[in-house]
This record gives sequence, C-alpha cells and structure tokens, in this order.
Amino acid sequence: MIGPAVLTLIVFSLYPLVYSIALSATDSQLARPFREFIAFKNYTDAARDALFGNSLVLTFIYAFGVTAIETVIGFGLALLLNRESGPTRFARTLGLLPFITPPVAIAAIWRLIYDPSSGMLNHYLVRAGILEQNVAFLGVPGLAMASVMLVDIWQWTPFVFLLSLAVLAGLPHEPYEAAAVDGANGWQQFIHITLPLCLPGVLIIAILRLIGAMKVFDLVFMLTFGGPGSSTQVASFYIYKTAFQQFKTGYASAMTIIVIVILSVLVTLLTALYRRVQAKYGP
Amino acid sequence: MTERAISSPLRQRPAKPLHPMRTVMHLLRWVTVGLLLAFTLIPLIFMLTTSLKSPIEIRVSGSLLPSEGIFLVNWERAFRNVPLPRYLWNSLLVGIMSTAMTLLVAVPASYAIVRFRAGGRLLPSWILGTYVAPPIVISVPVFMLMRSVGLVDQPFGLALLHMVANLPVATWMLMDFVRSLPMEVEEAAQMDGASHWGVLLRIVVPLILPGLVATAIICLILSWNEFLFALILTYSLRSQTFPIGISEFQGEHGLQFGEISAAALTGIVPVYVLAMFFQRYLIHGLTRGSVK
Repeated sequence: MIGPAVLTLIVFSLYPLVYSIALSATDSQLARPFREFIAFKNYTDAARDALFGNSLVLTFIYAFGVTAIETVIGFGLALLLNRESGPTRFARTLGLLPFITPPVAIAAIWRLIYDPSSGMLNHYLVRAGILEQNVAFLGVPGLAMASVMLVDIWQWTPFVFLLSLAVLAGLPHEPYEAAAVDGANGWQQFIHITLPLCLPGVLIIAILRLIGAMKVFDLVFMLTFGGPGSSTQVASFYIYKTAFQQFKTGYASAMTIIVIVILSVLVTLLTALYRRVQAKYGP
Repeated sequence: MTERAISSPLRQRPAKPLHPMRTVMHLLRWVTVGLLLAFTLIPLIFMLTTSLKSPIEIRVSGSLLPSEGIFLVNWERAFRNVPLPRYLWNSLLVGIMSTAMTLLVAVPASYAIVRFRAGGRLLPSWILGTYVAPPIVISVPVFMLMRSVGLVDQPFGLALLHMVANLPVATWMLMDFVRSLPMEVEEAAQMDGASHWGVLLRIVVPLILPGLVATAIICLILSWNEFLFALILTYSLRSQTFPIGISEFQGEHGLQFGEISAAALTGIVPVYVLAMFFQRYLIHGLTRGSVK
C-alpha cells in the first residue's frame, strides 16, 4: 500500500537530492550537465557571493517578518471574533478567499494598487494628505520589500485567523469554571488560561506559515522580479535566476544544498521549541 | 467546530449591564473587524471595478469605483488577446490529473501508515519533510528528469510534479481522517475474511468520504494556483496553465491593467465558486489535524 508513495519519494525527493549533490560538485550548465568536476568550488563561491548572502538574509527577513505580523493579527482577530454570530460566520467565509486566490492574480492586482502613476494607494494617500506626491512603492529599495510583504500579509492573515478560531474552539472548559469560582476576572483568565493553553496550537500555525513564507517565489516574480537592484531577491528567486536564466545549474545546485541544510537546522530547532512548549503548556 | 465555538469558554460569562469600559471594547472590536474586512475585500473589489472602468479612466485615476460608467471593453479585449479558455482548460486538466494521482498515492499510504505503522517512523516524517523544502530546490534535477523522459511541456508532466508537491498536505490530512475512525468496523470486516485492500476500498474510503472531498478540493486549488513548476516546465499553449498565462501577458505583451484584471478574475472565479460550494468541507479539512 505504501509502494506508490515510496516510489514517488525516491524519484522526486531522494533522486533529486543525490543528483543535486553530484551536480553541485561540477561546473555544469543547463544544456551540458556533469561537465568538469570542480569539487567544492561552487560552495566556496557561494560563501563569497554577496548576492547569495543577501538573498538568504532577505528570505529570513521576509519569512520571520510576515509570520510575526500574520500570527499576531490573525490570532488577535480570532480572539475578538470568538463568538458564534452572523459577523463571525461572514468573516470566516470571507477569510477563505485570500489564500485560495491564485498568487499570480493577487500580484497582478497589487501591482495596480501600488502603481506609481494611477495606483489606488497613491490616489487615496495623496488625497488624504498623507503623501505629498505619488510614490513608487515597488521601485524603492526597502519600500519594495515592505510592499511585497504586505501582499503576503493580505493573503495569509485570514489563514492564521481561521486556524486560530479552531484552536480557541478546542480549549477545555474546566479551567475557566475553576477560575470563575476563584473570582478571576476576564483579563486574568485571558493571561493565565487562554494564552498558555493556546500557545502550542498557535506555535504550530506560526511554524506552518514560516515554512510557507520561506518558499516565497511567485509574489516576488510578479511584483518586483527581485528588484529594484537586488532588494527583493529572495533565495528561491536568486536560485531560479541562476539556474534557468543564467543556466548555471551546477552553482544553483550548490546553493540549493546550502538552503536545504539551513532549513533542516531551522526545522530541527523549531521542532525542539514546539516539544518544549507542548510539554509545558500542552494537555 | 461550529457548535463548540458557540459555547467557547471565553463567552460563557453572563451578560452584564453595559459598562463604559465594555462599550469601548465593543466599539473597538467592531472598528477593528470593519477595518480588516475592508483590507481583505478592497483589493478584490478594485480588481472587479478596474475591469469595468474605461481604459482612459484606468490610466488617469486610481479611484476604487468607476466614475465614467461601466465598460465591458476590457473583458472583450482580454478574451481576444489572451487565449484564456486554453489556459483554463490546461489548468483544469493538470488539476484533475494531479488530484487523482495524489489521492491514488496518498489514500493507501496514509491508511497503511496509520493502521499498520507501515514505513515505521521514517516514511511519515519523510513525506512531511518534503513539505519543508521549497520547490526550487528540486527544480533543476526534476527538470532534467522530465526532459529526459519527454514530459516537458506536457500537462501530464506538470500534473506529476503537482502530485509530488501536494502529497505531504494530502497525506497529513488523510492520516488524521483515518485516525479518527473507530477500528471495530475494520476489525469485523477483517474477521469476515476481507483483505487489506478490501477493507480500505469498501469500508475506510466510504467512511472518510467528506475528508476525501476536502483533500481533493484543496489539492485541486493548490494545483490551480501553482506557479514555479509550471513556469519551469511549460513553454507553449499545449501545457501552459492560467498563472503562467497571466504572468506572460503582464510581462511581455504589455497588457493594460483593465485587461489583466478581467483575465485574472476569470481564473479566480472558478476557485471561489468551488470554495463556496465546498465551504464546510474546506474549513473542516483545513482546521483539523493541523492544529491538534
């Protein structure tokens, strides 16, 4: 019964890994793989490549930034709306929409919202007197990164909200009854019961988002194409450019191996963190 | 989930007379919710109104609502300039093929993992581990592999990769649904001499059907939206999917914003219709397992 799954994993996970490791030791191009063995030169090149280092830093800024904001807003919103009523049902249905929308379509509309000459954001910010003149949201380093992150936040905060509602709905009743008997007020109940009990569930949601955000590619491809300069060039995008636009597959493979190692370390740390939280606050 | 949310512990306090502080909190709650709903909806509304504005108005004004009346010219041009039906057809084809393949692989695997601990601890963590790796890390080897077997620019080739990409999510969800089944029925069937496959197909699959539907819908949507593998693996109308179509026309063909909005909406509508019909399954499927 597990045959097909094992076969899939071998062909599409083990084989690519072995292939990448082999390729990373060569000076390969897309059209001529496995030409010239160069041992670790690709890795030493990557260590010295400022653009690669930059892309890793940007990936981390992006992933941790959006995860923190999405978790705080999404969970906060779930706390506010943790009541079965018309508006909650409405918000829940609506919350489904952003993260099932094709990211490419999302990026297309946000490009128009950010447009420097006829964008909606400039239109209203200038009218409200917040901006003196139109701003190229996707054309200024720093601002471009924040603008791409805002789109991610638009897309994924509702996801965190929906999952947080499920966490809240799964809380046990007994601690609250005991606290009410002891005369604890709403705020004390929130700090001493709700927050600790929710922590493991919310941490899982945050980890899911962090892993997802580490993969970001389509938003960057569509909104900024890594620019201006290399200010939004996250790791996925830089590797894509190296492999499929400059055709340096050997070098790109070395970078993917480095990314895999970094992600493995990160996931190991996060799993350990989750185990601790679970042991301390879990059921 | 719905029933439990009603009696959620936070809301169990009896109604008190309105206190000034409580009124402020109440107001704050609704203002916050209103703002967040606006933040969610305005981009979608803007996409719709942009597609209905006159091309001239789009160029000079970024107002949310059209002020010069409603025009259908963007829609006409979008369908004339972009081979939308072809892209949507390819997306549908790839989506259905990949979803079917994902379920064919994930259903028996998740059943065997949960009930017989098949593959020990390695297999489940390996499957879930593949979720962590960004698709770009396997793209070079997978591209070479696909090229060597002639599956580049073929809907089936892309569907195969979408199956790989969706396998962890599908397995994760299905494992949880199988786990929630009582084992007695399966044991009774086994006593009567049913094989493992017989039990799976005649008892387990019908019992987890709602979960299966939720998993299938999510796989379908994930495949419909997927961009990176489609970008690397498709070159022509023979296999290019909707996201690739939009990106090509936005980049190279200098399409106007109104036409892009119309084209993008055309690809969004099927997803929203699907989500509307299967809303309960979707929310149920998404919120189970992941946060327990």
